[in-house]
Formats: sequence, structure tokens, C-alpha cells
Amino acid sequence: MAKRDFRLLVNGKTRNVTAEPDEPLLWVLRDRLGLKGTKFGCGAGMCGTCKVLVDGEAWPSCRLTVSAAARGQKILTIEGLGTPERLSAIQKAFVQHGAFGCGYCTAGMIVAATALLMRKRNPTRSEIIAAMDGNLCRCAAYPDILAAIEEVAASTEEIEPTA
Amino acid sequence: MKISRRQLLVGAGALGGAGLIYGLRFSGDAPVSAAGVTAPAAPPVDLARDYTDWLIVGRDGTVTACTGRVEMGQGLETVLYNLVSQAFDLPNERVRIVLGDTDTCPDDGTTIGSCATSEVGWGYWLTCGRARAELARLAALALECGEEELIYSGGLYRVANDESRAIGIGALGDGVPREAVIDPAAMPAAELEYVDRGTLRIGGEEIVTGRRIYAGDLEVEGCVYGGMLLPPYHDHSTKILDADLAAASEIPGVVSIEKHRGEVRAYAESYPALDKALAAVEVSWRKPARPEQLDLVNEIRDGRKLKEVIEERGDLERELGRCDRVFTETYQTQFASTTPMETETAVADVTSDRATVWVSTQSPFLDREKIARRLKLEESAVRVISTKVGGAFGAKAGHRVADEAAALSKRIGRPVKLVYSRRDQFQRFSRYKEAVIIDLRSGVDRDGRLRALGIDVMQDHGDGLVEVYAVPHVRTNLYETDLPAWHATMRGTSFSPDCFALESHIDSVARQMDFDPVEFRKQNVTLASFRPLLDACAEMAGYANYQRSDDRGLGFAICNHGGRQLGVVCAEVSVDRTTGEVKVEHLWAAYDIGTIINRNTALANIRGAMIWGIGYALFEEVAIDGHRAHASGFEHYRLPRFSDVPPIEVAFLDNQAPGSPRGCGEMPLVPTTGAICNAVCNAIGVRIHQLPFTPERVKSALEA
Ligand code: FES
Ligand code: FES
Repeated sequence: MAKRDFRLLVNGKTRNVTAEPDEPLLWVLRDRLGLKGTKFGCGAGMCGTCKVLVDGEAWPSCRLTVSAAARGQKILTIEGLGTPERLSAIQKAFVQHGAFGCGYCTAGMIVAATALLMRKRNPTRSEIIAAMDGNLCRCAAYPDILAAIEEVAASTEEIEPTA
Repeated sequence: MKISRRQLLVGAGALGGAGLIYGLRFSGDAPVSAAGVTAPAAPPVDLARDYTDWLIVGRDGTVTACTGRVEMGQGLETVLYNLVSQAFDLPNERVRIVLGDTDTCPDDGTTIGSCATSEVGWGYWLTCGRARAELARLAALALECGEEELIYSGGLYRVANDESRAIGIGALGDGVPREAVIDPAAMPAAELEYVDRGTLRIGGEEIVTGRRIYAGDLEVEGCVYGGMLLPPYHDHSTKILDADLAAASEIPGVVSIEKHRGEVRAYAESYPALDKALAAVEVSWRKPARPEQLDLVNEIRDGRKLKEVIEERGDLERELGRCDRVFTETYQTQFASTTPMETETAVADVTSDRATVWVSTQSPFLDREKIARRLKLEESAVRVISTKVGGAFGAKAGHRVADEAAALSKRIGRPVKLVYSRRDQFQRFSRYKEAVIIDLRSGVDRDGRLRALGIDVMQDHGDGLVEVYAVPHVRTNLYETDLPAWHATMRGTSFSPDCFALESHIDSVARQMDFDPVEFRKQNVTLASFRPLLDACAEMAGYANYQRSDDRGLGFAICNHGGRQLGVVCAEVSVDRTTGEVKVEHLWAAYDIGTIINRNTALANIRGAMIWGIGYALFEEVAIDGHRAHASGFEHYRLPRFSDVPPIEVAFLDNQAPGSPRGCGEMPLVPTTGAICNAVCNAIGVRIHQLPFTPERVKSALEA
């Protein structure tokens, strides 16, 4: 396949990239757009470390080709959810609860939690678990991640990213 | 983070204008130091060569601590910030922690065995205390007063009752680098008392915003992705008979592909192109001599060789003949895989006479050795920098990714990024926590006293064989085995199989003799401190009034981890008798782990380890035959998930005499597995002898 030009809407900006049409969005984000926060874990849609928001839904970016992602959808990566100076409510809760070990799965976790709370503002514990069950954490920071998400679920804070 | 090659060689920034340098040399085998890595913009090379030491008091009043240990999610960096900032009464902004850089840090060994906090962290605490004493001496000289007149706070020495006389620690070196090698025997003991303030993890903001830099996130000018074709067999020296690279080399983005030294190596502009190229190689391999079919039990039993008698006391055989009851059982465990979320990753930049490698590693100094050997360079020409590690659990201690990346870079003459695929992560070099068979024979008198215990352990490593029960007649044999796959260090090491077997056996014996399993343990343990732990755990779990039912049960297990950490875990499980599915409903634990430096990081490590105990007990298993492993992705290897995690309650034995912490990153895993297994057997009324307790295994136990 020959390289082609694509127009992506990432973190509120239009970004033009040249890539193979079947290149996974994950690698386009990481290596062509410099957004390294989205991580490679398996490349097979099995771990959730690479999740990004696509029109508000959490998708494994390793399973989405750049051509499929360039149809005008709004893509949000971890970098678009907040900055160290201006954390989103979920990011803040993750920091407060120390909801990570190595931090490698964290971006995918935060993306999945953001998608859930945007869809359903006050989910129950079992709804949170069901929505997060496709995100693996080998450090097994699950209890703290759950506590962080539950705290935001019980609050009235703004979920929509502000960054 | 962008690094130009020039910067790499010349270095950028400074360590804060070094003033005083403290090195602490422990004599003998006393603990050495530890640490983590900030961003890989490492301290400048020229400074680095001079200052390979632990503690640097900068002219700017900062304190920098360097250690060869690494941050891999266990929170070592946080612990070091806690210790150094408290010892010097400085805010974190005036403390720097440099970890895992072979050019700037001392070789503190591999970060493994949950000893980073106890050895390195505590080593630092003691060093800081001695450094403070040395600083006070210098401050008294500078201020022309007696040391007892000095008041210290926030990096400043003041003379009591004379506000105008003060000096900052940064000024004590007179701007001239000086070195004080601190001999612990010659220095006054630290009079500092550490208080856990329960601070949050360091770097949280960076982690939650995706800004933390891992090895794969580095960008080095001119870098390409490199990789090797994964051989289909356990034995990676398997010969390639024929390789057709034509199709692969046509793939857009491929820089080059070649057969080199029995390997197929590819280089590409992007990771997906590399992936495609390696998949497009047509290759045939020589079949291994070993048969494909593997009868694991016979392979282990027939191939075993006595390696070591770990323990021998009394006369086991005679005593077994005299005991009221004798019990004989066999237990078996599985092959398991570490599977950190970040696969093995390295970036190497090799020129004709130098190699610089950034790698996700637990063992930067071992990596340096391997690189030097492989590239035929002096070790001094090799620099290994451990980046932040995206989970390791043993996988990144014995790995080859650093020297592989270096070899690739040397070959192509450009910097190379090597990122293992998940398949590589599972299968490269076929390293697993090995399957183990353990035979146990025990003799018990009618009062429930263990009189004799014979254990035959068939496994590669015997570090988990620590005495737990006081038995007068003992023989513990360790047999090495010859399996088609190789041993890998994995969190829990051989403690997990050994504890599973012993604690299952003890439980089984107690139940067969109608003794309460908790009382039976209390009666027979070696260390008295197990008793309050057992009581505490039983009380948390409401054991006294617990009612088991046909599909719910409670189980206990205990662990003595090298005599340093003791743990008791109680698990409640439910079992679906139709499907055989087990769910862990609740975990309670009581531990004796010494001083806790940071309650938050300690608890995170403990809970994480306990969740590992669930995976090892119930589902983690790599299917292996004589030729290959059958796990190449998470679809074949089930990790614990959110829905597997029960409420976890943890208590600590309240005997914390001031003294060193003893670590907690691994041990809690070990009794958790045993407790879950005992709980399952308690619920279904049948003993299962083989890990993991999959639905099929539970069902067939119920049907038997
Ligand atoms: S990397 Fe995409 S799901 Fe694992
Ligand atoms: S924090 Fe390490 S994998 Fe989740």
C-alpha cells in the first residue's frame, strides 16, 4: 500500500499526517504526531493500554486504522484530557488515590473511565467494573483505580475534558 | 523528550554544581544503596565520571541521591524522596533522585526480591544521618561555634540565640567539590527518627497526563525500529534452513532485512512496517531433537537430579514409622509468565567505540556487562540508562533486550529502537516460572504435633524452602529438573509453589485429623510471631463464627519469606458447582514487615501482590509442549482483572521497633494463593492438588 495523506481531529486540532492507510492509529499518534502518552501493550485489542476517545467512546487505538480514524471523528488522547497544571477530575482522583504502580496502563484506564462517566455520570460499582474490565493492569492497582473512579462518580465535578 | 546524538555524548545541564559528596561504603555484605530515574536526560558525562556516589549536596542547596536500583512501579523513587527530604528537612523540590544510570550511579545490584526499600532505602536513611553529622561538624567550623549550639532546619544551620550567624548546606563545600567517604563504624549513629507522613506517589501528575517517559517514548535522532524474527521453538539456537526475504523487503517502510548470524533481522521506519516485514518472511527451521509431545509429570520425575539437601534433622524415616498418623501427598504447579504491560524495550545508540542504551530494566549493570561482551567493548565504553520501567516483576532482570538492541544498532550504524511484540514478550527465550512437583510426607502425633516432615521439591530454584513449622525430624530435598523451557524469575519466585504445596498439605492434614487448621498451625509454627498474626487475621475474617456452605468456604495460609517478612492470609471464596468457577469474595491479611516508610506505597505493593496471588491460584498458566509455548497473547493467558478483585483488608503486626523496613512487594502473593486454594477445598470438601484451580479442574474434582 502506498502512503496517503490523512486529516485527523486530535485533541481539538486538525492534524495532517502521511501514513500507510492500514497503519494503526496507535503508531500514528505516537510516532507521527508525537503523542507518546498512548501506550502499546499488545497490539491486539486485548489490554486497553492504547485506548483513546473516539467521539466520546473508548477505543483501542491499536485496532483502528488511520484511514478509519480520519472520517471526521473527534479523537481525544490522554494529552487532551488535562495537563499537570490543569488535571481533569478523573486525573486528579487518580493522583490522590495513587491509582497506579508503574503507570504504563494509566492512560488507557483514564480514557476508559472518562468515556464511562461521560456516558453515565453516576455509575454503580458493578457498572464501573463492567466498563473497565477490558483494561489490564499488571501492577494490579485495581483497588485504588476503582476507588478513584468511584470518588468522581459520586461527585458533581465536570467530566468533559477542559484542556 | 528529544535527544540529539550530540547531547548524548556531551551531556546537558548539571547536577546543581556539586559541593560536597558523600559516599557511604558498607563493609562486608551490609546493604548497599538504591533508586529511580528521572527523565533520561542524564547528568553530564564529565561530572558523572567523578561523582559516582550516593549523596551529593549541591552548591545550590539541593541534595541529590544516586542509586543503581530502578523505579518499576513499586514506588522506590517516592520512598527515596520521603527519606532524603525528611533527613535533610528539605522540600521535594530541593531533592533529586537519580536512578539506574551506570555512568552516574553506583552498582547497587538488581532491583529484585522486594529488597530495594529495605536495602537501598534504608541504606540511604543511614547515609543521610551520617551526612547530617558531617555537615554539622563543618557548619560548626564555619560558624565558629560548638555543634551543640547549632539549630538545623530547611537546609540551614543557625547558631542558637544569634540569628545573624547562619550557613546553608550548599555553602559548606566552599564551592570546591570535596569528598567524604563515610565509614559507618567511624561516624556517630544517626539520631534521626523517621516518621511516615503518608505522602502521595511522586510523579503522579506526570503519569496521569501521559507525560512520563518510558523507553519506547524516547526519540533519538536518526533512530529506526529494529527487530528479530522469533524462532518457533523453545531453543533459539534452532537453525534456519531456508529464508526467503524477498516479499518482506518489498514492504513499504522497511529499511533493510537480512539473515545475520542465524537470525533474521529487520529494520524499518515504523513499528507496523517492521511487524509486517517480520510476518512476511518465509522461513523454514530445523526441527528440534526433543519430541513435541511432553508428558510433564514424567519429564520432571524421570529427569530430576538431587541438587541439594536443604535441611536434614533427626531421623525422618524412623519417626514416620512411629507416628500415629502419616500423610503422603503430591502437589503440582504450572508454567507462568510475568507479562508486564510494557513489553521489553530498549533504544541503543552504538558508534564504533561507544554504546549508549536506554532500557526498561531491573538490572542496568548486568545489561552493561552483556552489551560489553557482545559488542567487544570495555564496560567503561558502555552506558546503560534505566528509563522508568512499565512493570517488570522479574522479566526485566535476566532479559537480553539491551544487548540485542545494541547489536542491531551496531550492525546498521544507526540508533535502533527495539520493542518486543506481545508474542516476543511471552515466548522469546522461552523463560517461565517453571512447573514444579512437590512430594510431601508428614507424621503427626495424636495431639496434633508435627513430628516428621519429608519434602521432595522438583524445581530449579530452592530459595522458597524456608522453615515454617517446628518439626523434630525433617528432610527437605531439592531436585533440579530438565524442562524444555527455561527458568525465569517471577514475582513470588519459588516461594509460591512451595507455600502452595506445604500450606495445602498442612490444611489437608489438619482437616483429616479434625483439628482446626488455624489452631493446628498455631501449635506447630516455628516463629511465635505467627500466632498473633493468625489471631489477627482470623478475627478480621470473623472466623470464630464462620459458617461454610456447599459453595462457600474460608481458608488460611502462612508464609515465612526469608525470615524477614511474615504473612498470614485468609480468603473467602465462592464456587459455582455447575461450572467449577471460583470467585474470591474477600481477602484478609496480617503482616509483619518491619518499619513502613510510606504506607501508601506499601499498601499498593501489598494489594498488588495479593491480586497476583489470585491469578496464580486460579488461572495463570502457559501451556507448553516439548517444542513451544502456546501462549502468545492475553487471549491465551488470563491476568487478574477488575472483576476478579475482592475487598482486601490488611493489618500490620504492631511490633515496629525502630529499625529497617523489610520489604513487602512479593511476599503477600505467596500465602494468598495458598489461602484461596484452601478456601476452595473447604467449600467443595475435596482436595485439589494442582495449580491453577481452573473451572475444569474444580469440576473434575467435584465429579470424582
Ligand atoms: S495495545 Fe491496544 S489493546 Fe493492547
Ligand atoms: S500501573 Fe503498571 S500496569 Fe497498571
